[in-house]
Amino acid sequence: MLNIITCFKWVIDEADIKADAATRKLLFGRAGYKISAYDRHAIEEAVRFQEQHGASVAAVTVAPPSAKKCLKDALSRGPDSACFVNDPSFLDLDPSQTSSILAAAVRGRIKFDLIICGEGSDDLYAQQVGPALAERLGIPCATCVSKLTYAEDEKHIIAERRLDDGMETVLVPLPALVSVLPGINTPRIPTLKEVLGAAKKEIFNVALEELGDIPGPYLKTVEVVAAAMDRRGIRFSADEEGVRSAVNALFKEGVLSQGVL
Amino acid sequence: MNFQLTEEHQLIRAGVREFCGKFVDPVANEIDQEPRFPSEIVKKLAEQDWLGIPYPAQYGGAGSDYLSYIIVVEELSRSCATTGFTLECHTSLASYPIFKFGTEEQKQKYLVPLCKGDMLGAFALTEAGAGTDAGAATTVAVLDDGEWALNGSKIFISNAPVAGMTIVFAMTDKTKGTKGLSAFIVPAGSPGLKIGRHLNKMGIRGSLTAEVLLQDCRIPKDSLLGQEGQGFRIAMMTLDGGRIGIAAQAVGIAQAALDESIRYAKERVQFGKPIASLQAIQWMIADMATEVEASRFLTYHAAWCCDQDLSYSKEAAMAKLFASETASRQTNRAIQIHGGIGYIKEQKVERLYRDAKITEIYEGTSEVMRMLIAGSLLR
Repeated sequence: MLNIITCFKWVIDEADIKADAATRKLLFGRAGYKISAYDRHAIEEAVRFQEQHGASVAAVTVAPPSAKKCLKDALSRGPDSACFVNDPSFLDLDPSQTSSILAAAVRGRIKFDLIICGEGSDDLYAQQVGPALAERLGIPCATCVSKLTYAEDEKHIIAERRLDDGMETVLVPLPALVSVLPGINTPRIPTLKEVLGAAKKEIFNVALEELGDIPGPYLKTVEVVAAAMDRRGIRFSADEEGVRSAVNALFKEGVLSQGVL
Repeated sequence: MNFQLTEEHQLIRAGVREFCGKFVDPVANEIDQEPRFPSEIVKKLAEQDWLGIPYPAQYGGAGSDYLSYIIVVEELSRSCATTGFTLECHTSLASYPIFKFGTEEQKQKYLVPLCKGDMLGAFALTEAGAGTDAGAATTVAVLDDGEWALNGSKIFISNAPVAGMTIVFAMTDKTKGTKGLSAFIVPAGSPGLKIGRHLNKMGIRGSLTAEVLLQDCRIPKDSLLGQEGQGFRIAMMTLDGGRIGIAAQAVGIAQAALDESIRYAKERVQFGKPIASLQAIQWMIADMATEVEASRFLTYHAAWCCDQDLSYSKEAAMAKLFASETASRQTNRAIQIHGGIGYIKEQKVERLYRDAKITEIYEGTSEVMRMLIAGSLLR
């Protein structure tokens, strides 16, 4: 039986983020949290494997203790157990830290043949935690996976990767890590029985002391402001002269360049 | 005192919202306009375990609480009042009497398929001459040759054309008034059972509402629900719980009116700025939000009383009274905020306005709610 780990991140629901009109500062005061949408596809893929091949699935997250609510949410989506790696200092971690913490939490603690991550997170979308975790665990990694199949006899997976210049199909021996794209599946909406059943599943807590040394951040966030979109309020007529001036205006703004034409 | 929903309740709400965004919102307008019964959505409600939320797992239910059910009705109604009401009618009006008064055999035969979604249910109390005055029912049931023979006609029966079984109320002893009323389980296809004409309604247009005609309708002797003469009590107890469901439907409609109003007020520019910057609009939005929140608290409180096994008859009446009148007021305001465009069919607020009105009428009018509340205070 396959042992699968699926990693997920608890992120601020972007629909709840407001911006201060004057300073463009983001306001999180009333924002709710959710499982990063990309990671929902990772969880779904793990559960699909569980249903098709009889795998056991552990959902793992790194977060401050206040994020405890995420566990039932994740467990209602099908995993058998959850591993909650938590410490009050686990706030705004950069990808290198998250991958170190995950590696330390997983190593020797959770048996795995396959780790499934979302391609990126809803908030940062750095696309680094997956590959960095694979590197730290010394296992192969396939990113941008849009289709995943398991060759049961040969103990490997076949991953179709959607790349900028085409599709690539790779055969990866297990244990391995894959990061999946949203197109790979449609996450289920948990049924009521699944929601109620989540409370009965096993949760493992892993504390900072159990993890060994965690490196400091490589990144420092100086400022986050909302993107501003101003309308120029320029009107163009529909005649030849109007079209010409519209095209000229686009050149002037740098939207079009001579190279395009 | 704790005003926070449990994690489970929050997850249920999030699940219904996602469900609505995916399956209900895209077709809500067409359900109203054609109009058509949303059978494909009802099938999906069953897959989500939402057709028997408060009933135990041994009867095919989800084994959850009343508040979970109320949250699902609220969120479905926020997207499509027809869908919310179809679930309410099925769960509160048809399934509850069997759960509460049915024999083990009746529960296995009817409650299990109802909860699993293999069958929809209906509730037939109202007659042309017996609306609020349920004791004036003229439908009669007579034990004849070891079977019950039912004669009479019922009107405004929701879900009747798609129901696998209908709870029918009929007089077994006319001399006793309300104490002569009994409840029966009438399976679809019973000899002498006919579904009459469909009624063309102002709102919740996708919901199927029809006459139920009983012409020497024959059902087995064991189709009696509860005791002979217990019908009025069964109907009243059923409606008590149902009212919390209608309150939830009204909260959903009112919330949708608020959602639409906020969105439109921010978008609509007049005098060079969004109308949301005008105090006239701001005050309407503030009043709407406050009344919606108050309705929601009354509704959740009534559901909570039900879950705690406290008496909830007055609480349910208060919730339904306030929430339904709130829904009518807020949908009216929402159209006012939208102006001319709000009067046009493609706008959701136009549908909400028509959908809201029925919540002041069915399962006990606002006037009956006031009577019940006053009655319990002045006893």
